[in-house]
Amino acid sequence: MTNIEIAKKNGGDHLELMISGMQHPVAYDETAYHLPVSFALTGTEVHDRKSALDVFFKTSKNPLVASESVLAEKTAVQGKEPAPYTGFIDDTIIRKLGYSLVDGSILGLALVVGTPASPDSAAAICRELQEKYMLTFLAGDIVRSLAGVGVKVGLEYCLIPLGSTPLHGIHFVDVIARVAMMFGGVTPGDIHRLLVYASERAKAIVIVFPGLSDDEVAFVDGMRVLGFPILSLGDYTGGEWIPAQPDEVVRRGMEQKGIKIQVTAIPIPMGCSPAFEGKSIRKEEMYVEFGGGRSPAFELLSMHPPDKVIDGQVTVIGPEIDAMKEGGAYPLAILIDVAGKMMKKDYEPVLERRIHNFVNYGEGSWHVAQRDIIWVRISKEVVAKGVKIEHIGKLLASKFRMDFPQLLDAVSVTLITDEVKVLAAKKTAEMVYEERDSRIRGMKDSDVNTYYSCTLCQTFAPNHVCVITPEHPALCGAISWLDGKIAYEIAPSGANQPIEKGASINAQTGEYDGVNKFVKKASHGEVDRCSLYSVMEYPMTCCGCFECIALMLPEVNGIMVVNREYKGITPSGMTFSTLAGTIGGGAQTPGFAGISKNYILSDRFLQGEGGIDRLVWMPSQLKEELKNQLVKKLTDQDKADLLGKIADENCATTLEDLIIFLNRVKHPALTMKPLV
Amino acid sequence: MAYDLNFGWSGTISQVVLGATRADGGSRKRSYRIGGETTLPFLGDDPSSDGPLVALEICDNPEYWSPVIKNYCGDLVGNVQAWAKAAETVYGADLVRLYLTSTRQRNFSDITSVGKTVEDVLSATGLPMIIEGSNEPRIDSDVFLKCAESSEGERLLLGTAEAGRYRSIAAAALAYDHSLIAQSPIDVNLAKQLNILLKEIGVKRDHIIIDPYTGALGYGFEYSYSAMERIRFSALKGDTDLAMPMISAAIDALTIKEVREAEPEQKDEMAVEWEFYSGIAAAVAGAGIICVRHPKTVGMLKSAFADLRNRSKSDEVT
Repeated sequence: MTNIEIAKKNGGDHLELMISGMQHPVAYDETAYHLPVSFALTGTEVHDRKSALDVFFKTSKNPLVASESVLAEKTAVQGKEPAPYTGFIDDTIIRKLGYSLVDGSILGLALVVGTPASPDSAAAICRELQEKYMLTFLAGDIVRSLAGVGVKVGLEYCLIPLGSTPLHGIHFVDVIARVAMMFGGVTPGDIHRLLVYASERAKAIVIVFPGLSDDEVAFVDGMRVLGFPILSLGDYTGGEWIPAQPDEVVRRGMEQKGIKIQVTAIPIPMGCSPAFEGKSIRKEEMYVEFGGGRSPAFELLSMHPPDKVIDGQVTVIGPEIDAMKEGGAYPLAILIDVAGKMMKKDYEPVLERRIHNFVNYGEGSWHVAQRDIIWVRISKEVVAKGVKIEHIGKLLASKFRMDFPQLLDAVSVTLITDEVKVLAAKKTAEMVYEERDSRIRGMKDSDVNTYYSCTLCQTFAPNHVCVITPEHPALCGAISWLDGKIAYEIAPSGANQPIEKGASINAQTGEYDGVNKFVKKASHGEVDRCSLYSVMEYPMTCCGCFECIALMLPEVNGIMVVNREYKGITPSGMTFSTLAGTIGGGAQTPGFAGISKNYILSDRFLQGEGGIDRLVWMPSQLKEELKNQLVKKLTDQDKADLLGKIADENCATTLEDLIIFLNRVKHPALTMKPLV
Repeated sequence: MAYDLNFGWSGTISQVVLGATRADGGSRKRSYRIGGETTLPFLGDDPSSDGPLVALEICDNPEYWSPVIKNYCGDLVGNVQAWAKAAETVYGADLVRLYLTSTRQRNFSDITSVGKTVEDVLSATGLPMIIEGSNEPRIDSDVFLKCAESSEGERLLLGTAEAGRYRSIAAAALAYDHSLIAQSPIDVNLAKQLNILLKEIGVKRDHIIIDPYTGALGYGFEYSYSAMERIRFSALKGDTDLAMPMISAAIDALTIKEVREAEPEQKDEMAVEWEFYSGIAAAVAGAGIICVRHPKTVGMLKSAFADLRNRSKSDEVT
């Protein structure tokens, strides 16, 4: 057993002796970086004992610096080692290696040093590293061990034999130092940036077999400063190396450094690309369909502990597609189980919404809506090519891993087509949906200081900014405050940004100086003020996606709401589409506001104008849709009779009729403070 | 009457150098600087800037190239070296934009040929070049590496990075000191996001040219115009993540109905007019490089730009 602390001390002293005893000039060919580790750390060009010692003391006797000079001298005196050893690797090759790192075609770097007890287990470790796209460097007896069991080494195999001693591993460090200078913009001598680059950008791990001398222990331990985890396969005690077993060492190292394997191609017999997202599958093109009111269907994404999710596993429960009749409608449950260190329960609904995009990426699969109202179709064309239900699962499992590599470590998919089982699983899903809804339902705007913006629609409404609060969802109804928060966490430079609400300017209308500041900037200077709860004063801008429009009717001193689905004329004299054309495009139009349906149920609804008592008209269809929740809300506020006083198209489609109706039912708006 | 042509803006567009001459370690006959603007286009330009430049687009496999161009250029389109040479000596382009359309065949794998084509074209013309590599993620890595490697030291512009696939091209640009085109679908926020991603990977601001993407005039060009204008306004107001020169290529101009359905003897004229006016509009919106495919458009655009630049210096405006 080697004690790392003691060996490190002795090795350090010995390295100091060696560097002090240097007699020959040192230099490597084909590099612009001199002795790269020393050069990167201090900016000093080492070429002899004097400059080597200079760097050595400047870096507080760094063992990496000592190893580099000592090995360079040895190479200068004895010449390069014969093939297969590469020795120092020249700049041209580093450029290519660096390319593969930035490009992502190799995921990380590994150094393997020491003398493996069993060549077979060393070979297995190296094979695993190769399979996991790790560019692996070898130094010491490991190279001979591998040769003995027929493992091919060389750059083309991503297994690079640096030299015959573990100290040759210093070339691993000089590769990283040069990559940092070439690609990372690290200037020679900028230790701080070099260390940040090495520990955060260079995804490097070190695997140590037994048999290192004291010098070598000091050298290997020196790499900890660069943030590389040192994984020890036995025979070392003390210190901060991580003990590991051969069959788990690669996985543990990669985990430690946060290196994740990417899925690149999806093995299914149909194309899969965002290019297919916009297609639709018409009835005559479809082989089978699920949901859409024709059969029970739902989707649910939920997170689980890592040991409960087997990555990539796809299970189909019930009949496969070949047991389904062409043109039929069948039940379907899409259950996605995910696990990940960074994953949070709050992210579930946001990720679940991606099922929609991903299924549509399939050349012959189509998906609309969400939760338990989904509608999925698979085309005849791809069924003829051999696409099965199982492949939809494979597509989903792969896409989730590809698109959320930071978030998800494992994704498995279960697809149920057995009606009884679908219905049973749907009950559980409904509980989850309800739980999610209630999580946001209980939240108040006053509970948080941070709201979220949405500028997704600036594509076509250049200056539009949605401000999303717990009680004021985005006007499209698709993004709640929680969704905004999560979207920001997942993509910090995306369209949902945090807004510190700041000091209150007008509590009634919901105007805050922080919100104003944000909106001014995000609207490119076009909008100075924005009130969250007012239709009359500085209302929020409208893109074009609003679920409903709220507008003032001065003649009745009230506000009407019309939803997108309502095609008829409204008491304002205009239809939804005419109104939409008037207020969209990112403009702020006092008297008009684009709103979501859920906002009508919010306590902040029309707060600036006196609350829900102002609501004088909405289409019967919308009334019906919100009825249960609206009745409950109004009853709680002791206004149960208000719902009956709100007119719809059956009582009034003209202003004249509306006035008559409101007077007859004695609508409270008539006697409220004048709107204008 | 004097106007303030700076409107109180604080931002400056970064300057991108295209092409390295012998003195800079390359083999181009000249190099350009574009960018550097502190105000809108053609309002008293920065004398150190060479824009707007006109690039002629050519390709190494003309199978799917516009028949209008194939008819006009004849055998030239079958010989990419001669085509590149003509771009410089006959048609008077500022830049050559080479599309490696050969890589777009199914199951393409001859990466060596990519390097050879790039080297051949570089030897045929002394102009700085834009190289459009692969269109297929599977071979991106190999193709971009080969393009960048074969033109090391020439300081070219590599195309085209997009949100989903920018790593290979960024790596190629970083490794061999080229600049790159960052393309996003007509959206100022997506353009900014891609630039931030590129910044995170290490690409410097003065190595990025924004392509906001475009259709042709009359075919959705107004969306691009608006996106370009907004990118430029944000940049001038101080948003450094958008303060890069822009490139515009209205390649749809050759396939629109008006060109397709024109009488045979009018096809050329129609194509040229459409490219020309799309190009003028893009330059007015702020593009520093205008790409065209019809050789006759090159000269027209160049004289129009010279005219606009001269006028902007005259007393009428200042």
